[in-house]
Amino acid sequence: MSSSQYSYIFKYIIVGDMGVGKSCLLHQFTEQKFTADCPHTIGVEFGTRIIEVSGKKIKLQIWDTAGQERFRAVTRSYYRGAAGALMVYDITRRSSYNHLSSWLSDTRNLTNPGTVIYLIGNKLDMESNRDVSYEEAKQFADENGLMFLEASAKTGEYVEDAFLKTAQIIYECIQDGRLDLNAADSGVQQKILQCETNPNVEKDKSCMQC
Amino acid sequence: MDVEDLLNDVVSMDDLKKFENEYHKQLTTGTVSQETKFHYAWCLVRSNYPADIRKGLILLEQLVKHEASDDDAKRNYLYYLALGNSRIKEYSIALSFIKGFLHLQPENMQAKNLMLIIQKKMEADAHKGMAIAGALTLGLSAVVGIGFALTKNLKK
Repeated sequence: MSSSQYSYIFKYIIVGDMGVGKSCLLHQFTEQKFTADCPHTIGVEFGTRIIEVSGKKIKLQIWDTAGQERFRAVTRSYYRGAAGALMVYDITRRSSYNHLSSWLSDTRNLTNPGTVIYLIGNKLDMESNRDVSYEEAKQFADENGLMFLEASAKTGEYVEDAFLKTAQIIYECIQDGRLDLNAADSGVQQKILQCETNPNVEKDKSCMQC
Repeated sequence: MDVEDLLNDVVSMDDLKKFENEYHKQLTTGTVSQETKFHYAWCLVRSNYPADIRKGLILLEQLVKHEASDDDAKRNYLYYLALGNSRIKEYSIALSFIKGFLHLQPENMQAKNLMLIIQKKMEADAHKGMAIAGALTLGLSAVVGIGFALTKNLKK
């Protein structure tokens, strides 16, 4: 079965004010679809996609949290054990940018020090209505040690980049040992691929081969 | 979309306790806010224990029938009524709630996805039922066959 042929599972969360396009980013990434006038998310929405980083197949398990205040108390529990956090604001709505520090403090408090946080300025297709400059957001990202890009869930521009680059960084952290897979809540699960049992080969060795 | 992951999303005990405490604290004062009740119910329907899920469903039914202040709130409760019922395998009840939701908001992808999950689960259950029935028929025909063979032997 193709669904079991991946080496890792990375857990992601998407957070940010309501209406910034979190679910639209998720749908664009998982289904290459854009729905205008997406209704508010109920609690959390869930999506997956298998990607490839350095020749390894990785399954992204993405929890897209509702931005509405009435859900916030409970959606906080989804931050736990996230390997990647996509923090989204709307480049045409300054208030969504101004609230980033509150989203960031929740993310920092509720995830691990190793969680990769990617800041995404969405709605790049609405350049004429821009309310937050690239430079200003870039500076905020640099000051807080975040990765940053601007994207458009509508056109799909840079959407892949945000999800894939986050995975690349997580993967690098695993490779150089900065991310401890045995730690609780690392947000990464290593899949042990099943091998055909070969009685002539030691069990451990046969597993290394697959 | 992975069917299992959404229905297998389990609340942590810490969270359940936290929202339970808040709910009980408000109960003693005599008025429980809609928000507190919803948060507690949302945790309960994601519990591993069917008794918790049923308790959550009761709270959600109270919310949807008597307390929903607007359509937005109502659809939230309907969604979790469908999810909770799916988690205790009450698929036809779950289906009626998600249909109720889609009546309010026909184009909602999140609800449509949940409906697909419920329908898939129902189908899998039906197949399982058919397999059991099939096995029973097979067993029964074997018994009849043996009986038939025996009587044939006796007649010889």
